[in-house]
Amino acid sequence: MTDHLPNLGRENEMLAAMGHSSMDDLFVELPDNVRCKEPLALPEAQSEEEILADARRLLGSNIDLGSTVNFLGSGLYRNFVPSSVFQLITRGEFLTSYTPYQPEVSQGMLQAMWEFQSLITELVGLPIANLSVYDGSTAAAEAITCAVRVHARKAEQKNTVYISELIPPDRLSVIQNYTQGSELIIKSMKHDENGHIPLEEWEKASGSCAVYVEQPNPLGIMDQSLFSAKEILGNHTAFIVGIQPVSLGVFEPPGNYGADIVVGEGQPLGSPVTYGGPIYGIFACTQPYLRQMPGRIVGRTIDVDGKEAYCLTLSTREQHIRRHRATSNLCTNETLIAMMGAMHMALLGPEGIETLGLRNLASRQLLQDGISKLSDVELPYGDSQHFNEFVIELPYPAQECLDYLEKFGIIGGLNLSRWYPEWDHRLLISTSDQTSKSDIKILLNHLSKWLTSKSGVVA
Amino acid sequence: MSRLFDHDGAPGSGYAQPSPLIEREDIEVTDTFKRKVMPNWPRISEPEMVRHYTWLSKRNFGIDTGFYPLGSCTMKHNPRVNEVIAQLPGIADIHPLQPDHQIQGLLYIYHEMQDMLAICAGMDAVTLQPVAGAQGEFTAIRCIQEYFRNKGELQRNKVIVPDSAHGTNPASAAMAGFEIIEIPSLEDGRIDLDALRSVVDENTAAMMITNPNTLGLFEIDIAEASEIVHEVGGQMYYDGANFNAILGRTSPGLMGFDAVHYNLHKTFSQPHGGGGPGSGPIGVKSHLAPFLPGPVAARRPLSGEDNPTPANDEFWYYWHQPEFSIGKVQQWHGNAGAVIRCWAYYRRYGKDLKLMSEHAVMNANYLRHRIQEEAKIAGLSDYIVDGAPAEVVKHEFTLSMGKLKEDKGVGAMDVAKGLLDMGYMAPTVYFPLVVPECMMIEPTETESKATLDEFAKKFIQVLALDPETLHEAPITTPVRRVDEVHAARNLWLRHDGVDR
Repeated sequence: MTDHLPNLGRENEMLAAMGHSSMDDLFVELPDNVRCKEPLALPEAQSEEEILADARRLLGSNIDLGSTVNFLGSGLYRNFVPSSVFQLITRGEFLTSYTPYQPEVSQGMLQAMWEFQSLITELVGLPIANLSVYDGSTAAAEAITCAVRVHARKAEQKNTVYISELIPPDRLSVIQNYTQGSELIIKSMKHDENGHIPLEEWEKASGSCAVYVEQPNPLGIMDQSLFSAKEILGNHTAFIVGIQPVSLGVFEPPGNYGADIVVGEGQPLGSPVTYGGPIYGIFACTQPYLRQMPGRIVGRTIDVDGKEAYCLTLSTREQHIRRHRATSNLCTNETLIAMMGAMHMALLGPEGIETLGLRNLASRQLLQDGISKLSDVELPYGDSQHFNEFVIELPYPAQECLDYLEKFGIIGGLNLSRWYPEWDHRLLISTSDQTSKSDIKILLNHLSKWLTSKSGVVA
Repeated sequence: MSRLFDHDGAPGSGYAQPSPLIEREDIEVTDTFKRKVMPNWPRISEPEMVRHYTWLSKRNFGIDTGFYPLGSCTMKHNPRVNEVIAQLPGIADIHPLQPDHQIQGLLYIYHEMQDMLAICAGMDAVTLQPVAGAQGEFTAIRCIQEYFRNKGELQRNKVIVPDSAHGTNPASAAMAGFEIIEIPSLEDGRIDLDALRSVVDENTAAMMITNPNTLGLFEIDIAEASEIVHEVGGQMYYDGANFNAILGRTSPGLMGFDAVHYNLHKTFSQPHGGGGPGSGPIGVKSHLAPFLPGPVAARRPLSGEDNPTPANDEFWYYWHQPEFSIGKVQQWHGNAGAVIRCWAYYRRYGKDLKLMSEHAVMNANYLRHRIQEEAKIAGLSDYIVDGAPAEVVKHEFTLSMGKLKEDKGVGAMDVAKGLLDMGYMAPTVYFPLVVPECMMIEPTETESKATLDEFAKKFIQVLALDPETLHEAPITTPVRRVDEVHAARNLWLRHDGVDR
């Protein structure tokens, strides 16, 4: 019911005060040919309790990951987020505020975002971070366009960027949409049999405007070649690294091995998976990219009394000032979700992020060891260092395996043919801090039963 | 002062996690990859962390705190049941790579939302993928671009925007690679048809415009503007930022638009969250539908082979890829959590969404009237100057503080700061740029008559203050006027242990 209209029933009084006799008077200027002739073809209004009941029935029809034995990740991971985070972000002062255009009454959010920037810069090893973009994919896209603006003039390979061939097609599609306006040439970087980028690929990319690679890569593999990449690429090629933030609890941050821009999907820190949104994109960079970076950034300053204060700064890059010459069209972003990330990072602390990283590593290692003992299953990149996911190759179609496992309440991972059509016998299996020993046992047990049943059929 | 980085508790003083599944020394990490120095993060316990963020929240102003008349942003009440729903595991804990049969309820809601938004805007097809209004603009402009490429009209490289348009309009079109043609508005802020006629040609791809416009006025010539653009083969794009004013009364479809974005965080009450998340679906007419980013939710009658869930009425729901889709603008399916909240919000009104818009418009007109009345009583009518003359406004209105500035040296920003001292969020200031010393006021439908009456009084009280007081304002806020120039000149963008 329309119970959020405080002036319901007082319309006549208010209209009369203005000298009007009906609501129609307020729409008098609408030309006849644009007026709705029929009422909106929508159902009756519902009460809160009816809506809640419908929501429970409809959303209850979805299979939530918590009710399964889950090994699906592939970019979004369900780490545990402490309860206080959810309690705090629903405080109305945060939840129902907007972009802090009036800093005097927005110090809370501004300071929280400045602290978020600080946490991110420490995590990734770079001096500058903004207060989030939409998600990991748009962060990558914005990083590329930012890098091109910086290097367009001096780059030898004009208007050219290189991207790892392993990038999931949906992420690549976002990048293509964001970059097609500037007619960028996107070239692909190949990988060797260990999932690493060989030296000659880096050499090929040298002199382009930017290189975008991920560490761990989309198959969960860590690649040592990134450590010497910046040296090969040189000063006029932006080295952009996409990260999984939790991995930086155990692995060296890209800022320490020459990355110019670090982007990533922030979701594994602070946010539930939520069907892929709202989540938040991490964007951090070095000094030369600062004035070309997209999005909002908070600076610490003082008020007229010299008191510590915070405000949005470097706004002259942004659309509301620069209009079509802005660095990005970004306006509404993902502040509240970034704040969840900040709260989670704060509660973890330096030791906690390490433990979280180790828990992800350990559950992956335990599962990978178990799978390596199954006959007929290959680990095509088994010799490489992984973070929390890895590829397995099955003797039979991966989809059949997933269908079988689903009967036992197991989501076995991602059928990799969804990303790379020829890989229809491969699964990408992901773990998180929520993967338990019993989950691993259950998966190994049913995987082995499926293999037996299949080989039985073949025999 | 509470600062996160001042907390330096004992190692591990924060959230206590279970141990890794295998002994730490048995976890294999190649030495070269091992992180040498841990991030210099604070160490804070839960009680301290809760207190820190609660302290911060007390230094932040939201709709829940008080009246928030920030023009163009539609800061309406955010019903709390929507938050409860968004935390249900059936949305918070589902993954976009799950197969369709595991997410029938999600698809049902997406499909219902697509339908509802299409109906409200008079469009034929909708995608919920864009995650913010600006991304919706960009997405729609991309669809229009591909539509022309598909037709072989490659020369269409110009997008027209009025000078009063939101900054995101030209920024989004420029991102897609278009040249921007800005046309001046008429004295009263409305679209200048002659100026439009003079710039359209066979290179026109689209015109982007919002209606009601950024002055809160309905563009009465909109149908003619559409005709002018259509005559040269261009497309009409509706910026839905001001959609809250017109539901059930008129629609972009009736006005002749081909594409529209919706700001779900404005019209449909996704909480603004201090800057986001939002959600910016787009709707299009059928000729643009094949180009929408995919996939979109679709349905077909149930067949015998389906395993229906409680979400399946007579239909089976699935993701469908449009034929000439531009691809993705966000890697997954948009801000699903926002879509769910807005679904709950729309269900609260159903066909009475028209009533919502009527109350938004009534409140805006009432507040404008009451401010004028209070000004008359105080003898300050000279300083209540309409941003553009109008009998009635729609969901928002503009006032120019130009005369106040001239006479007393008090500008829109001073008035804004004075309002902060009165316990209000300030209106939008200095936008649209076409109004000198502009204040843009949007009360929304969820403010009571008493709140509007009180604000009108206080607004005039602020105007009556002496200039010195207003230049000093605010004095009651957590900090006083913040030095933004200092911030830009002495960039201090993170905690780095250096005191400046």
